[in-house]
Amino acid sequence: MGRYIARRLLQGVVTIWLVTLVIFSLLRFTGDPVSYMLPPDATKEDRARLIALYGFNDPLWQQYLVFNRNLLHGRFGPSLRWDSRDGMEVFLSRLPATLQLTGAAMSFSLILGVVLGAVSATHPDSLFDRVGKVMAIVGQSMPVFWVGILLILLFTVYLGWLPSAGGLDRLGLKGLILPAVTLGWLFVAAHMRIVRSSMLDVLDSDYIKMVRAKGMPRRLVIWRHALKNAAIPIFTLFAVNFAQLLSGAVVTETIFAWPGIGRLLVDSIFVRDYPVAQTVVFFASSFIIVINITVDVAYAWLDPRVRIAG
Amino acid sequence: MARSEPHTPELLLPRLRPGLWTVAVTWMRMVMRGAPILSLCFLTLAILCALLAPSIAPYEPIETNRAKTLLPPSLSEHPLGTDHLGRDILSRMVYGARISVTVGFLAVFVSGTLGTLIAVLSGVLRGWVETLLMRLTDAFLSLPFLMVAVLVVSLLGPSLVNVILVIGLLRWMTYARTIRSEVLRLTEMDFVRLARVAGASWRRLMVRHIFPNIVNTLLVLGTLEVGAAVITEASLSFLGLGVPRPLPSWGTMLAESQTYVFTAWWLPVFPGLAITLLVMSSNLTGDWLRDRFDPTRRQL
Repeated sequence: MGRYIARRLLQGVVTIWLVTLVIFSLLRFTGDPVSYMLPPDATKEDRARLIALYGFNDPLWQQYLVFNRNLLHGRFGPSLRWDSRDGMEVFLSRLPATLQLTGAAMSFSLILGVVLGAVSATHPDSLFDRVGKVMAIVGQSMPVFWVGILLILLFTVYLGWLPSAGGLDRLGLKGLILPAVTLGWLFVAAHMRIVRSSMLDVLDSDYIKMVRAKGMPRRLVIWRHALKNAAIPIFTLFAVNFAQLLSGAVVTETIFAWPGIGRLLVDSIFVRDYPVAQTVVFFASSFIIVINITVDVAYAWLDPRVRIAG
Repeated sequence: MARSEPHTPELLLPRLRPGLWTVAVTWMRMVMRGAPILSLCFLTLAILCALLAPSIAPYEPIETNRAKTLLPPSLSEHPLGTDHLGRDILSRMVYGARISVTVGFLAVFVSGTLGTLIAVLSGVLRGWVETLLMRLTDAFLSLPFLMVAVLVVSLLGPSLVNVILVIGLLRWMTYARTIRSEVLRLTEMDFVRLARVAGASWRRLMVRHIFPNIVNTLLVLGTLEVGAAVITEASLSFLGLGVPRPLPSWGTMLAESQTYVFTAWWLPVFPGLAITLLVMSSNLTGDWLRDRFDPTRRQL
């Protein structure tokens, strides 16, 4: 177990390092960093200061070393706009909003997906199952921002029930509903499909037949015994989908003016604040890697077969 | 209500009363069975719109008309209404198909080529090259795709070519992983081993024996990925980082519609519908191709 975790952690560190390499190359090979990092009205002194700060006149490998050293010390460069705070500080101030949004979206899609998936697995080929299948196909093809606009159209414009802008501080829970449903919508179909198929497998297994033969009521068998085992693949899916969740958050936060890191990224790109943009991308990637490792380790802890094979 | 293929024994029992539910189930099954044909039709329609946009579109897509702003859909003049500048929505959507179809297919071409190249390199060379390439694939897989795309497009400057390149260069990982495992499986198979024993060169092995066997997988993955590329282009355009205005992209149309969502429902509904249908068509066609190519799944 310890060896497995150690190896997985080492792999994670290597992956994070490769991510920094990728981000570094993307930033350096796509144009003159000095001109995109400075606002258009920058003076000559500003230019010289920036070049000295990041060492843009040094050879590339030295710049990369400086880049890595700054990362290790948690220095992501001062933000050019947000009161010149450090990129990391700006990022951290916006992180809670995104965590609230993604957490709410995931809970929504998990609850709905698991219930719908379990019901269609226990009634295969019924009308419910078929409608669910069609809804899953349609749901997975709808772009996040269209879902968001349609929800605004229905619940804000026509019914007038919910506000079209979000932000837990400003509007409270009422402002959370539409953004969370918009972002969660994407994963309802995926969760439903995976719960349905693993539930069908579990219902067919010997131990479920055993429990049923003992005379346990059908409802208890399904919701207490089968669902517990059928839910395991969801965690794998969660790790795989986490990157997609953050991508969806960028769009959702833009539609609903949600003050999270996705909106921070888009805003900072439009005001050409690249230190902040780079910090957001770096932390988002690291977050995804950490989530993946955690899920893998949790798996190994739950299932000894993974430790030996992996 | 005769059922052609009963799935469970209980359905073999004669149904005395074909209730509303049975009718609905049968109807839905027919729709599901026709889905591949419908999606092929819609894909063809989208490609035709892209190719023949000037002759299909009733108006110029960027022609503004101050007298006719925000007109609702009507059969007489503007079938899908007009936007805040009096531009015809239908014409803009027909032209928008050009961007979506071009980005969809070209981005998939770029990512498919890159992914296959990386897969074959790591499958053939093995050793540290394989380890490095697979770690690189992991690293790219953990990038928050849309965030990186937004960042890079803004650095390169928004344009059609840059959008295609960025989507292509950020989405090759699926191909690399799937094709690599196919290549590894194939190199262990008897006909490839025999060909190697018979003295075939690596190039011949690749071109004559391995490649023909991965074409199907490539085609299925590619079709499925068209939808993802279309959504990404629309997202970038929605955020204002896609194809520059006034070129009509479906994503841009949706972004512009946000301001008028309280007065004009037709602005967001139709372009979004077009994106959804195109993505759904590519997904369903991909699923159908996968079932066709794989005899073991054909019965499902």
